Amino acid sequence: MEKLPNECYEITFYNLCHKDLFSCALVNRRWCRNTIPILWSEPEHHFSNIRLIRVLLLMLNVEEQVLLIPLNLRLPTHQKPLFEYTSYITSIKCHLYGGIKKLFPRIKSGTKNEVGNAVKCSLYAMFLRTGKNLKHLYIDEIIYNQFIFKNLYECTTITSVDLYLPHNIDDYFKSKAIDVLVKTIRKNSTLASLKVNSTKFGFERVETVLEALYNNTVINSLSLYDSHISAEEGKMLAMFLYMKTTITSLTLCGGEESWSLYGV
Amino acid sequence: MDNGTSNSASENETITLKSCDGIEFHIDARIANRYTLLNNWNGGESACIPNVNGKVLEKVLEWCEHHINDPQLNCGDDDSRRRNTIIEEWDENFLSCDQDMLFEIILAANYLEIKPLLDLGCKTVANMMKSKSPEEIRSAFNIDNDYTPEEEEQFRKENEWAEDY
Repeated sequence: MEKLPNECYEITFYNLCHKDLFSCALVNRRWCRNTIPILWSEPEHHFSNIRLIRVLLLMLNVEEQVLLIPLNLRLPTHQKPLFEYTSYITSIKCHLYGGIKKLFPRIKSGTKNEVGNAVKCSLYAMFLRTGKNLKHLYIDEIIYNQFIFKNLYECTTITSVDLYLPHNIDDYFKSKAIDVLVKTIRKNSTLASLKVNSTKFGFERVETVLEALYNNTVINSLSLYDSHISAEEGKMLAMFLYMKTTITSLTLCGGEESWSLYGV
Repeated sequence: MDNGTSNSASENETITLKSCDGIEFHIDARIANRYTLLNNWNGGESACIPNVNGKVLEKVLEWCEHHINDPQLNCGDDDSRRRNTIIEEWDENFLSCDQDMLFEIILAANYLEIKPLLDLGCKTVANMMKSKSPEEIRSAFNIDNDYTPEEEEQFRKENEWAEDY
């Protein structure tokens, strides 16, 4: 086995699940170096594992830690991690939010969102700072945080963003998040796939997003989910789709009262 | 229908390949045409394959011959190869050799850019690692542990999340 080149190790390890990769990484240092990029490339559902979240918190820099000071959160105090693990992550999935919630099992539900958002902001800032291989990003309204959007505009690895704006967020924050989305569509040069999940987008916001999309030639896959879209917004969208020729994959999904259409 | 093996060679055409230790093999020219490196070395009467000995080349060519009519898959799709460790019965029997030979076949497939055989060999090795502890893997492949105890402990702490389902 030792005479095989590293590329053969890589092909071999791609056949293994996370648990087996963990065992392989513990075999010796060479196996470890070859395993870590694969083990960390897609943690998938493990993002909801509090043990993984604690390791991620170890990798925050000083500025990112400052975001957590108001929370009085006791950060793990191990030595510097053996690898910059987050540089290998290719995809941040929604499971991360479940993992973050587990950090605060006793916090009252009223402040849970605020505390959770602060942790999310610091982690996402770190993902965008260190993510040399980051391609897919699931994110919610925290997208408007300055530590996040600045990096998002300039990030040249991300090809896919999944923006989720829950129904219960404040309208002010929703507007700020959509502003950042519009600027991302205008400024980011690698984003090819966009999914937006929101409710009550509103005519003006739909118009601004579609205008930004119209002038963008990189995005070829678009998914819009809105359970309360008006007839006027629907018409505007139809006109956009009629004129826009660079979208090759489209998913539209609405509630019963509006529209429901899946297409390619 | 184009099964991916279309080329100028006909069924009866043969070419001669010579291993690095001088053993000659007369093979169906379609095999050489299918795998670029085998083809590149076909210099006419006979061509030498450096770095691959006769014993290993014989096995590699046996595999190529058995799979001569397989459709050629798009090699760029790495995701389709991931974590799919099902191996056909013939291939499983073919690779039921000693470990040294298995690694030699993988090395040769890598060197000769015979991607499906390389994937198959690596899958077979991966299957030998599945559900084993680090100690069992070391013993199965005769590998020494060069971690310091402190390093190993730190590594465990930072990656133990992967042990959970």
